[in-house]
Amino acid sequence: MRLVASTGGKGGTGKSTFAVLYTLRLLREGKKVLLCDCDVECPNDHLLLGTNLHDGKPIYQNFPRLNAEKCISCGLCSEVCKENAIFWVKGKPPIIFEDLCSGCGACWIVCPQGAIEKEKKPAGEIFKTRISENLWLVTGISKPGISETGPIVKEVKKRAIELARDIGADVLIVDTAPGTHCNVIQALLECDKAYVVTEPTPLGSHDASLILELLRIMDVPSEIVLNKADAGDESVIRNIAERYDVQVTVRIPYSEELIRAYSEGKLDRVVDLL
Amino acid sequence: MNIVVASGKGGTGKSMLASSLSLLFSKKVKVVACDCDVDAPNLGLWLGVTSYDAVKPISTSEKAEIDSEKCIGCGRCFENCSFGAIEKIDSNFIVNPLLCEGCGVCRMVCPVEAVKVKPVTNGEIRIKETKWGFPLVSGQLKPGETGSGRIVQELRKRANRIDHDVMILDAAAGIGCPVIASVTNCDYAVLVTEPTPSAFSDLGRILEIVNHFKVSYGVVVNKWDVNPSISEKIIKWSGERFLGRISYDREVVNSIVALRPVLVSKSKVKDEIISVYEKIRKLTT
Repeated sequence: MRLVASTGGKGGTGKSTFAVLYTLRLLREGKKVLLCDCDVECPNDHLLLGTNLHDGKPIYQNFPRLNAEKCISCGLCSEVCKENAIFWVKGKPPIIFEDLCSGCGACWIVCPQGAIEKEKKPAGEIFKTRISENLWLVTGISKPGISETGPIVKEVKKRAIELARDIGADVLIVDTAPGTHCNVIQALLECDKAYVVTEPTPLGSHDASLILELLRIMDVPSEIVLNKADAGDESVIRNIAERYDVQVTVRIPYSEELIRAYSEGKLDRVVDLL
Repeated sequence: MNIVVASGKGGTGKSMLASSLSLLFSKKVKVVACDCDVDAPNLGLWLGVTSYDAVKPISTSEKAEIDSEKCIGCGRCFENCSFGAIEKIDSNFIVNPLLCEGCGVCRMVCPVEAVKVKPVTNGEIRIKETKWGFPLVSGQLKPGETGSGRIVQELRKRANRIDHDVMILDAAAGIGCPVIASVTNCDYAVLVTEPTPSAFSDLGRILEIVNHFKVSYGVVVNKWDVNPSISEKIIKWSGERFLGRISYDREVVNSIVALRPVLVSKSKVKDEIISVYEKIRKLTT
């Protein structure tokens, strides 16, 4: 099974559009495909496929819970918390701010009284949808207010890989979030190839160079997908392609038909653009 | 007054609008513009900025290192790491720096003090006095590093030291840590969307964050004429929160290719942006 990613650094360049078009093209070629939406903060692949998500299963993460009866107000938990998620005033029990908590566990490890317990709480949901005979979609959604979404991506991807093996998928396509931080890194880990989807503008080239730098550090082979290829100035993309020694292997022209198909959830109409 | 521009979905027009609002506010009051999209900072490009007056490396993150000579291979670090950053290779444990969040749990559980946690330079903060008469403070996370939320906190602190009446913050896409760090302590949020089911769905996601932090907000529909019927739906849904709509115009793409702010171009969207600004100004002063 091949594991490929659709990524891009910048938002709105067409990562999900490419991931879905590529999925549909592989289906036409008779392949069995699993598409995994790892943009857990804002997942959209189901909308592009014109399907609804049902029967989500919770994804749990450990968070701290204070047992005030055991607490001796020593303040050690607040001292070790690198996220500044524990507020403590001398002589008082600490206050834990879950918005800032990454769930690392430093507080419950350091507490000499065992007054901070780890509590499993839902941090998001996972949806597994069989769209057609040979197409599965796995979607992760983070709970709003959860700041550290990397561990959710990790869990969603792990389960997608398990399912892909179970169903004997030929290809698993991972659609990442924009940006270059932990949620994207988790999605790109162990991929055989990454498609960097970008657009021919200074914004596209600037952000594509950042993700290409990350992919170089991670040692993931990459290719560039140029979306809206004829709307802008392609030379800026050719420059970064040369700098990172990657090829522009796919060009998607600017197309009003594609925009309409996108907003109607009917991208299968425009697979030939790929 | 802190005004954040956010959207959930990427590419809806946040930086374009944030750059325009900075220019318009700066005609009346003292402005500082903040690029809080430290993963992929683009606000500078929309203001024609390609170099900075001052660039300061910062360290808001740490990484663990295991001394293989001291390590006894007990595996406690491996069992306790919440981020899967400790890998077992043969009988050795090593830290994958790409996944390490620097929380220090491995050091705390190591019985033989084989783990050190050291600060790393994970990004930079850059300042530019733009030719439009106001400063831009921009952050950049180094690819492969962690701690983007904390870079946003640092750059906001830096921007706060500059005398200003209005701070315009351009947030990242998504709803995770860098976005939460951008939305907290803001007085008003401008939520930019476009007429697609994806952008509308993501608008609902960012709204949960904005409501969670009790920030007042308004909605702008960008490229509204790409799908007028979805635009109508969003406008109806927004009710009195609706701030205005901006047309799709290829001239906007030409502006960014020429690294020229939209407001100094010939685009027909100029008047639409000014009307959005007027509404925001009335609501925030």
